[in-house]
Amino acid sequence: MSMDLNKELSLLFEDYAEQLKEQWISEMKKLGFLEQVSDDEIEKQFTNLYNIAVSTFKTGKYDDVEEYARNIAQKAVLQHMAVDQIIGGMLKLRDVYQCFIFEKFKDDERLCNLISACATVINKIVSIKALAFVEESEKEILQQQKEAMLALSIPVLQIRDEMLILPLIGIIDSARSQQIVEELLNKIAEYQASIIIIDLTGVPIIDSLVANHIIKTVQAAKMLGAETIITGISPPNAQTLVNIGVDISTLITKNNLRTGLRLADEMLQK
Amino acid sequence: MSETEKRISIKSSADIITARGVGREMAKQLGFNIVDQTKITTAISELTRNIVSYTGKGRVIIKKIHSDIGKKDGMEIICTDKGPGIESIELVLKAGYSTSGSLGLGLSGAKMLMDDFNIKSKPGKGTRVTIKKWLR
Amino acid sequence: MDIPILKIENFLVVTIQAEMSDDEILKLQEDILSRIKEVSASGLIIDITALDVVDSFMGRTLSNIANTADLLGAKTVVVGIRPAVALTLVELGIRIKWNLNTALNLEKGIDMLKRRIERQGAGGAF
Repeated sequence: MSMDLNKELSLLFEDYAEQLKEQWISEMKKLGFLEQVSDDEIEKQFTNLYNIAVSTFKTGKYDDVEEYARNIAQKAVLQHMAVDQIIGGMLKLRDVYQCFIFEKFKDDERLCNLISACATVINKIVSIKALAFVEESEKEILQQQKEAMLALSIPVLQIRDEMLILPLIGIIDSARSQQIVEELLNKIAEYQASIIIIDLTGVPIIDSLVANHIIKTVQAAKMLGAETIITGISPPNAQTLVNIGVDISTLITKNNLRTGLRLADEMLQK
Repeated sequence: MSETEKRISIKSSADIITARGVGREMAKQLGFNIVDQTKITTAISELTRNIVSYTGKGRVIIKKIHSDIGKKDGMEIICTDKGPGIESIELVLKAGYSTSGSLGLGLSGAKMLMDDFNIKSKPGKGTRVTIKKWLR
Repeated sequence: MDIPILKIENFLVVTIQAEMSDDEILKLQEDILSRIKEVSASGLIIDITALDVVDSFMGRTLSNIANTADLLGAKTVVVGIRPAVALTLVELGIRIKWNLNTALNLEKGIDMLKRRIERQGAGGAF
């Protein structure tokens, strides 16, 4: 099933390649990653990377990624390039893709699945790259770079004026959830967002520590002046929330991202 | 060692601000992120305010520490006073308990914001609170 | 240090500019409350963007100001709480009820006040 979704995504990403690539490059420039690189070089590198990503979606095979990762890792370690620059680029592409999917499929019931399919592929690409780096470099990654990478790997998407979406995917441990909380709150202040949606569809299980972090996020966001809608809580996760004694009545929840988005729009119009 | 250890005597509410400033500066230098800096500074504020409100006079030591076991750096804050001491430590550590009319989060708050918390108190002799935060 | 209390329409706006000692905070509380009475303000906005620490004393004082202002007929909104401060307050007071209304910035704070006062005028409860 997810195979079909990936294929569908690959076709879309091909059709909109120019637009999405341009957006991606401009986002990367905004982050200050490409300051010493010529425009020709940027175009060449990003086109290459973009094509690799699309073909991975299409074929479901990661061979090209692995080869690319080994090459780039060798070069990067030699030239002292920052790890976050290369990993960050991929994560930014994921953001660009996901925003695009939101716009395209916001009224489609497959929205969650498409978002999660997209994240799954890109996350795997990122982890292949990261692994190549670790293998390549005996040196320990500096704390700072590690933090920058983590910050980048937290997908806070601005979907409308004043609205942020945080689609969480995968297993979340306590250290990571703490990072997510901090990053999300910073983004709220940065974008002056008044509504946040935290989507837990892609999170199979949360432990009580992580659940606590989520509750703290809601409370802290409220203190900043933003309301939080939580979507896609699975039954076991709902159980965890109840078990740690959270007053569920203080949470705004919706069963999926689509209905959450609708509610958020209504709340924004008030 | 002078850069990694600072002592401030606490006599008035203005000293609370001084202690907070010293604490934040050291936390920043040690590489704590902005949230941890804020938590540490707030904990210092709670503890030094306790000194001012309950005993009027005391001292705070703020220093860099290292753990060989955990191979990590951190920060330690020791607040001492020669005040009346605390009868029931358990009771004051309950959130909401207060004899001076603040939110009653002084000690329990400092405990929640930090990684380690230790309190020693003898009625009539004084109190010493030690808190630690480790770099993540 | 004297903190200016500005009047915009029927609201008072107080911008805290630097860290304050306990005495200064308490004096500010007095000033604000007497000013509300003086001009019969219907709303109060306290901007704490400049504060990088809000401990339980400051938190309680803000909360006191809001409650007292309420009795004097003015609704309070606190704006500009920093992310790190919000998170610290949540850790600090996870069991206390934070009874202040907050908004991200001055503009949204004013909007919020207007809506609240409108609703109250229409006889609705909060």
